[in-house]
Amino acid sequence: MASRDFVYKKFSEFYSSPSTVIPKISMIGQREIGFLLFKEHVMLRHKSFESTSSLKRFLGETVPSDVYHSCAYYENPEAEMNKKIWLGADLVFDIDADHIPTPCNKIHDEWTCNKCGFGGKGVTPDACPICGGQKFETKTWACELCLKTAKEETAKLLNILEQDFGFSLQELHVFFSGHRGYHVQIEKETIKTLDAMARKEIVDYVSGLGLAILEDETKDNTRRQRHKISFSLHDFGWHKRLKLGLQNFVMNATKDDLNNAGVKVNYKVFSENREILLKRCIEENRWSSVRGIGITTWKKLAKHVKDLESAKIDTVVTTDIHRLIRMNGTLHGKTGLLKVGFPANRLENFDPLKEAVAFKEGTAKISVSEAPEFRLGDDTLGPYKNQTVELPTAAAVLLICKGRAEVVQ
Amino acid sequence: MEMTKARFTQTDLAKYPFLKETAMLVKQLDLKIEELTNPDIAAILNRAEERVREAIMSLSVGEKREADVEIPSFPVALLLVINTKNSFIKKRYALAEAKQAFVDMQTESSEKILLIARDFDWNIELTRFSTMPLEFAISFTDYLRNTTHLRDKKWKLVNRLLVNGKVYLNKQDVARLLQEEVQRRIEKRLEVTELPVLPEKIAEITKRLLELAKEKIGQEEMEGLPKVVTQSAFPPCILALYEAASKGRHLSHVGRFTLTSFLVNIGMPPEKVAELFKSFSDYNERLTRYQIEHIAGERGSRTRYTPPRCVTLQTHGVCVNPDVLCRRVSHPLSYYKRKQKQLSSNLPKSN
Ligand code: SF4
Ligand SMILES: [Zn+2]
Ligand SMILES: [Zn+2]
Repeated sequence: MASRDFVYKKFSEFYSSPSTVIPKISMIGQREIGFLLFKEHVMLRHKSFESTSSLKRFLGETVPSDVYHSCAYYENPEAEMNKKIWLGADLVFDIDADHIPTPCNKIHDEWTCNKCGFGGKGVTPDACPICGGQKFETKTWACELCLKTAKEETAKLLNILEQDFGFSLQELHVFFSGHRGYHVQIEKETIKTLDAMARKEIVDYVSGLGLAILEDETKDNTRRQRHKISFSLHDFGWHKRLKLGLQNFVMNATKDDLNNAGVKVNYKVFSENREILLKRCIEENRWSSVRGIGITTWKKLAKHVKDLESAKIDTVVTTDIHRLIRMNGTLHGKTGLLKVGFPANRLENFDPLKEAVAFKEGTAKISVSEAPEFRLGDDTLGPYKNQTVELPTAAAVLLICKGRAEVVQ
Repeated sequence: MEMTKARFTQTDLAKYPFLKETAMLVKQLDLKIEELTNPDIAAILNRAEERVREAIMSLSVGEKREADVEIPSFPVALLLVINTKNSFIKKRYALAEAKQAFVDMQTESSEKILLIARDFDWNIELTRFSTMPLEFAISFTDYLRNTTHLRDKKWKLVNRLLVNGKVYLNKQDVARLLQEEVQRRIEKRLEVTELPVLPEKIAEITKRLLELAKEKIGQEEMEGLPKVVTQSAFPPCILALYEAASKGRHLSHVGRFTLTSFLVNIGMPPEKVAELFKSFSDYNERLTRYQIEHIAGERGSRTRYTPPRCVTLQTHGVCVNPDVLCRRVSHPLSYYKRKQKQLSSNLPKSN
């Protein structure tokens, strides 16, 4: 309880401080605002505010653990769902390490089934292997590898949105979510009224889902015929992406990479013929130019490359035209870090563990049950196991929010 | 005529009477409803009736006439269709006009296609002097607005040439997308419900058209096309789910999928199914329209899902109170079909 009070007090100080500024949110009066309260995790929804300054006053009084706004615009944002009258919505993408396989393999994550208590390490399963339950208690961590992977996926997404969809870098608003991922938000007039189906098509494009060229055959439903699709790549859209991806793969693949791609080819043959593979096969679409590397192999490689080139987004976020997303400039209840926006061209150099830190002053004494080594700002801290330490406020809040520590009075 | 800026010719307007410019032209003609039965313009009224008749019978709009008859016959046809207050005729007519436009557009010059597309406010241009292999470039939003409900995989955005916000298309594809626009525009114009008092003769025509439609629908019903949902033929499992859903009670995922796919399969329109789930209080549990359409296979998935078999439903606790008929079926859908037959054979035979 004391720990909860401590975090509450810190959040309260943050939202009450005159130096805290909630960045402007376009058309805020038309959006639904929602809050998660510290008390019993109650969700407060269907709120509306005239401006970010009136919202900030409310935050100082209510002190929620999390703040959200709809990506949708409504005639009546405070009405119940079917009376709101939907006017349009931003196009939003969510990239979260939760949904991406990472090199760290999420060994730092733990899950416990709410129903039977069974648990394990790594990515939380869809259903409990023992009882089939679908609700879990999770203990997660955002390691540097997780964050780096999320950043790489974001870079791929931005690239597709810029090159293929023609959005300018200024139109792509990029945010660190405050936990393990990034948000990309587009507010352009032309996309606002796209319905869920249109957004699903955008999702499928970004994910490379349904690419006809990668299918072995198509069924012609009307004539009940099957016909092979000719495997031929041109220089635009996804074809170009596959082409470049294949070139890159051919030039860099190790024996292990070939195994990972699931193809059985003689590595010696492969590596000695890179020039022909590049020129005759990929460039001229003469796929059978090297003995032992046939069309089946190429298709498998192309599928593998598709997985590498596509952006791993949380698809439901984009297609849900009523979605609530975390508000820029507010604190994340699971970390005490801020959701922060930055220009798209800064993505590579953006350091989430530094720029999202909200509590920059003071220290706190906490007793840590277990924490891996981690970095926050310029400090590298931990690992800790069952020990009492005095840490910078931000680090203390992070560990408490993550359920790894209790405050010591 | 003072249409110096117009680049559509009279022939174009006769071919594509749904264009904005035609509406203006008709306004200038100042055709009065009371005059419609005037023998001097009988040709217009005849042609209008023919448009609708052909649409009902064969999804076409009949042979074209001289522009001075052809152009005004279109708004008069709209009037006739609105007056029938029949949704089948409305759908059918809009589709027939759109299909005809598709056929005509395929042989038009590219410049003309561009002109028509801009009439629908498309962001479109010709790529003739660039290195792109296809002739037209349209913004991806215009593309999506007109393709998301087309079932063939080739329309999926991922299979298109998308560069810098533009989708590259050939003439035939552009014409196909414009067909969708035409259909929507006409459907919209048919949404009107308030009509002025119409002459007796129009009422007669309306009656004839309705008769014709009844014949046509009747025939299609015999072919098994539009189905009526018979709630009394629902198997016990579905009935239980249906009642739970309408009361806004919680349904398992299997339950939701079963109910949705069942209803969609027996021909309930997705909007109706969505309504059923509206009463769910929990926002997260409410099936969104999108998910239902996904199951319906109308749009996203491009495959139609079927409800699980009885064995599967039994293991998931969805099968409740199976009755005698249940013993003779292995699938809720076959229960429904059999029960429907039983019900209709029990009815006293009319005529
Ligand atoms: S036997 Fe089949 S149709 Fe009958 S209630 Fe059970 S699941 Fe439904
Ligand atoms: Zn369990
Ligand atoms: Zn990690």
